[in-house]
Amino acid sequence: MLHKRFILRQLTRSGNQAAVFVLCVTLSILTIVAVNGFSESINRSLLRDARALHSGDIILHAHYPFSPALLDAVADLEAEGDARSLRIYDFYSVVRSPEGEKTLLVDLKVVGPEYPFYGRVELASGRTFRSVLAPGTAIVEQALLDRLGLALGDRLHVGEAVLTVTDVVTREPDRPVNFLSFGPRVIIDIADLEKLDLLQRGSRVGYYLMLKLPERTNLERTAEKLRSAAVAGQERVETYRTARSRIKRFFDNFLFFLALIAIFTLLLSGIGIRSALTALLKEKERTIAVIKAVGGTGPFVVGHYLAVVAVLGLIGTALGLILGFGLQYSLPLFFGNLLPENLHLVISWRAVLEGLVLGILVVALFAFIPLHHLREIKPSAVFRKESAENRRSAPFYLAALIIFLFFVGMVLWQLKDMKIGSYFVLGIVGLIVLTGLATQGILFGVRRLPIRSLALRQALRGLFRPGNATRAVIITLSAALAVVFSIYLVEENLDAAFVRSYPADAPNLFFIDIQPDQVDAFSDTLGMTPRYYPVIRSRLVSVNGERIDREQERKRRGDNLARPFNLTYRDYLLEDEAMRVGDSLFREDLEGLQVSVLDTVVEMKPMAIGDRIRFNIQGVPVEAAVSSIRTRTKESIKPFFYFVFPEDSMLRKAPQSIFTAVRVDRDEIGAVQNRIITRFPNVTAVDVTQTIAAFADIVHRFSLVIRFFTIFSIIAGVLIIISSVLATRFARIQEAVYFKILGAKGRFVLTVFALENLAIGLISALLALVISQAGSWIISARVFDIAYRPNPAASLLMVLATVLLVIGVGLSASVSILKQRPVIFLREQTEE
Amino acid sequence: MIQRCNLHRISALITAALWVGGFLLTGCDRKPEALAPNGTPPPPVEKTEYEGTIVAMGDSLTEGYGLPQDRAYPALLEEKLQAEGFSFQVINAGISGETSSGTRSRTEWMLTLEPDIVILETGANDGLRGVDPEVTRENIAEIIRILQKNDVAVVLAGMRMVRNLGREYTDAFAAVYPALAEQFEVVFIPFFLEGVAGDPTLNQEDGIHPNAEGYRVLVNHIHPRVVKAIRAWRARSSED
Amino acid sequence: MHVLEARHLTKTYRIGEREISILEDISFGVPAGEFLVVEGASGSGKTTLLTLLSGLDRPTAGSVWIGETDITDLKEDELAPFRNETLGFVFQSFHLVPSLNALENVMLPAELRGDPRAPEKAEALMKRVGLADRRFNFPHQLSGGEKQRVALCRALVNEPEILFADEPTGNLDSENSDAILDLLLALRKEHGATLVMVTHSPDIAAAADRTVTLRDGRIVGERRHAA
Repeated sequence: MLHKRFILRQLTRSGNQAAVFVLCVTLSILTIVAVNGFSESINRSLLRDARALHSGDIILHAHYPFSPALLDAVADLEAEGDARSLRIYDFYSVVRSPEGEKTLLVDLKVVGPEYPFYGRVELASGRTFRSVLAPGTAIVEQALLDRLGLALGDRLHVGEAVLTVTDVVTREPDRPVNFLSFGPRVIIDIADLEKLDLLQRGSRVGYYLMLKLPERTNLERTAEKLRSAAVAGQERVETYRTARSRIKRFFDNFLFFLALIAIFTLLLSGIGIRSALTALLKEKERTIAVIKAVGGTGPFVVGHYLAVVAVLGLIGTALGLILGFGLQYSLPLFFGNLLPENLHLVISWRAVLEGLVLGILVVALFAFIPLHHLREIKPSAVFRKESAENRRSAPFYLAALIIFLFFVGMVLWQLKDMKIGSYFVLGIVGLIVLTGLATQGILFGVRRLPIRSLALRQALRGLFRPGNATRAVIITLSAALAVVFSIYLVEENLDAAFVRSYPADAPNLFFIDIQPDQVDAFSDTLGMTPRYYPVIRSRLVSVNGERIDREQERKRRGDNLARPFNLTYRDYLLEDEAMRVGDSLFREDLEGLQVSVLDTVVEMKPMAIGDRIRFNIQGVPVEAAVSSIRTRTKESIKPFFYFVFPEDSMLRKAPQSIFTAVRVDRDEIGAVQNRIITRFPNVTAVDVTQTIAAFADIVHRFSLVIRFFTIFSIIAGVLIIISSVLATRFARIQEAVYFKILGAKGRFVLTVFALENLAIGLISALLALVISQAGSWIISARVFDIAYRPNPAASLLMVLATVLLVIGVGLSASVSILKQRPVIFLREQTEE
Repeated sequence: MIQRCNLHRISALITAALWVGGFLLTGCDRKPEALAPNGTPPPPVEKTEYEGTIVAMGDSLTEGYGLPQDRAYPALLEEKLQAEGFSFQVINAGISGETSSGTRSRTEWMLTLEPDIVILETGANDGLRGVDPEVTRENIAEIIRILQKNDVAVVLAGMRMVRNLGREYTDAFAAVYPALAEQFEVVFIPFFLEGVAGDPTLNQEDGIHPNAEGYRVLVNHIHPRVVKAIRAWRARSSED
Repeated sequence: MHVLEARHLTKTYRIGEREISILEDISFGVPAGEFLVVEGASGSGKTTLLTLLSGLDRPTAGSVWIGETDITDLKEDELAPFRNETLGFVFQSFHLVPSLNALENVMLPAELRGDPRAPEKAEALMKRVGLADRRFNFPHQLSGGEKQRVALCRALVNEPEILFADEPTGNLDSENSDAILDLLLALRKEHGATLVMVTHSPDIAAAADRTVTLRDGRIVGERRHAA
């Protein structure tokens, strides 16, 4: 039987603490709903992007005409209305200008009228692709017109057909998947395929069959059905989810990262809820003792406070949901240019429901311990002024275990990968244990510091108030901060690796196969002297006489020493290189041939100066001594070499071709290519403009999304700081009163509090920084496989911000104490 | 889970992949490398052990792209020759992705291997990149000239270009080889991929590189021409 | 000459619409060195009187003079150093700073004053009350009697002119109670401090120089005891 008035009283009298608790619940629900809802939207938007990249749900691919069995299986699907299909033929061909005087290798794409199922083909005219594509016409890339000297409306010989060029393609949805192409794109209607007469025995053609499935079809099952009909080792059946493109891998990484943020935010909110509730109930201890003294049973007390928590929790939940919807509509207002264009912010009911259930679960789980603690309050506490010590009983550990299991479940559910999930859980457990140990160690040290300044000593002593939660606060704070910092650092690194590595001046035109004797003439023709990179193909034979174990090498996850390497020779460092071991590339004190290696090589196999590497340069064995180790200072699209030999060495005579990468104005690419190819027919030019633009765009959008979600975890972190400061507010008030009675001025008390908060903030922030640096390094190197930058400036800023925040929040919670006369608090303490 | 090849490695891919093979542009598909399980191509062994040295110069078709090197035709050829009592070593000097221009500029270097016979298979990548067949012809002519000047016997492997490039181009391309063979009077393999090209069972999934079975077929028709070249070389040697 | 003087002290609280009068027009003086006991039943206003006399709270009307100073005129931050140097406090529930050990608690007022001899003074006092070996213990490790002895030392470390004690034995058993009282009186004598104590224990009242009795916020009686 619940006592309604009692509950009401508790609600109305709880004041600040109740407000904070409600706020915590509100924000955690808001966060959960938002993260869930948004990640669902983003997921959908990303999957749409992924589909656009492959322009179909299921992709059948072969280099031979599809087998009858597979075609039958597709026909069956279509007959049952389970799919629509689209044929694409992709192959190179040499096209000719109308008079046949100019020829050009082009990348032909022959498509059906329904192409593309997903995404959009953009044309220079602004017309829709479907309205332009017609039999007898060709849609081409601008470069083709430039190279062949044609204009729109001109005719073009393709195979045996003569087609009219009707438009210029500026963007293809699936371009980034096949991003390197030796020739400009020409798109032709499938009706003209026969006329071309290019598909015959001895042709090399990429055959594609794109399938579009109705929504809600089981993609994998359909793909599996087709797979069983396909000829193994000849026909490939993939879905846009599984297609082995690097883009796909990038999507995976990205979604994985979002899932991580979501879980962390949930965990942080939970911790916030717990400490807010602890603070709330702490102030109720005496009331509870009185209730118990007058005969209230444990269950009565717990039951009633459970009701209090439930009511507060519901208020918070409702507020969270309302705000969640508010956010949905106001976000584009605030982040209009921050959010990806086609990100549809739709909070689905499923997301709300999921958020609600998760929110209630989290509130229940994290409220259990503080509530259970109520049972421990003895009626005799009425007579004692000091509050009962927190004792940890079996239910405490049980609750902790349940919370742990809950999060393990969450992690596995979100990440959908046992192995990664368990690594992740182990990582978190390690994080907490590590933070706990480090906190313990630091506090042990601090306690023994001899300090002269009274205020500082008081402040540090304040950390060890009996029954004080300093350790818990620091562990919570630093674990939370470590997560927030890590998210930020990893995000920064992703940004640096993916976005900033495409500066405006990144090269967009690559020339390969320039012959050594063509270099000068090449510069003349190009009209500038770019940096030339001689490239010599070779393989590694042995290091210090120890043979490279090909089998072992090939099993490596990343790069390996068994692949062919491109060697070069030069005497200078590139702009984006730095010496790691040694002062210069080559040394005076080494006999014979020398070679400078990149640190990536040393990571694959430890090497030191003087070690002897044996190469096989196209049949000729060459041995060189390691003279220095270089590192790359930034990840960029600039060319780099693992092995560099001296300019003046036998390598000059080794068979080589020359490579160069230049930045050319977009409009001039065609003309430049033309000039070069006309004069140097052996040289191949690769235009990566469109690819890089498309890719950089996607990456940029991803980065924005990640940034946006990081805000949520930062809010959760701030909440924890607030609630943990509030949790110790009572002890601080008490101390402030004593100081004032004994004759301390307000400023002294303020200083002590500020210093105490400074200590908490600084210890937590530094601890978090160390952990997050290590963590993000591991994540960057192992999960995302990108170079890691520690970002010292940002790190310093994060520590500073944390310290200021903790001090600010702490002081604003204590400043009211200082203005008052001490008696108010004496009275508050003795009477309640 | 996540492989080395992230997109940001475009630069690495471009600098490396282009040479790895004109067809490896799908990027991260990590094919097993073309090497024998036990290691590298053998460094040239002391000449005295063999009667002569044959260098197989060429592109990925010679190197054995996607296969261990002991499955590519040079290794199979050496095996077959030795089984028949020809004490010749066959050095695999194939470079994936190489065009005839590349082959031409490394010919001098190849001479350091002191070959007696060179099996020359190049030009396929020229075709796949749409290089003017005239360029290919000039390059191969120059290579043969250099080799012959250095008393190296040449076996020229003819190449035909994939049909999708268009009749005019493929015709012009296919005409290059027999003309050169005639001009320089070298032993000629009319079509290097005879009996293998276009057969899904003899090629890898990419439809252009022979698989191990494909090389076993290839070596059968390459072998008699090499034997012919060896006989001619022996005859000329004994004349000296 | 009065070291402490209350002039027409009145204290009222407003609770909602009602105005509750706690003290009404209290006036009396305490000569230097006197031991004054304020007695009265629970709710008579004696603790409120003590907080007004010691400057921990402000009267609604009237003034408190300590020596030549009207402390009701002082600002909060002027009052603090004044309390520190002139007044000492002993409370019923000790009010030791929980984060400081016994010695540090005793030293605190002296340190706040900037006294470089704080440690010696504190050590000496602790030795005097027989707690030398407990000086590094924290409050929660001490018994009630020990805590109150620490509080006594803390009250005396700055050699205050006036010592305020609010039911100093209220939370102690009789044995400890007697010991503390004896110690308090002995120390007061040694330091020559004026002592103002709130209690309702007749035994203690008997030991005082003078007793003022409060009832419902008014002085209803005053007794002088023979020394």
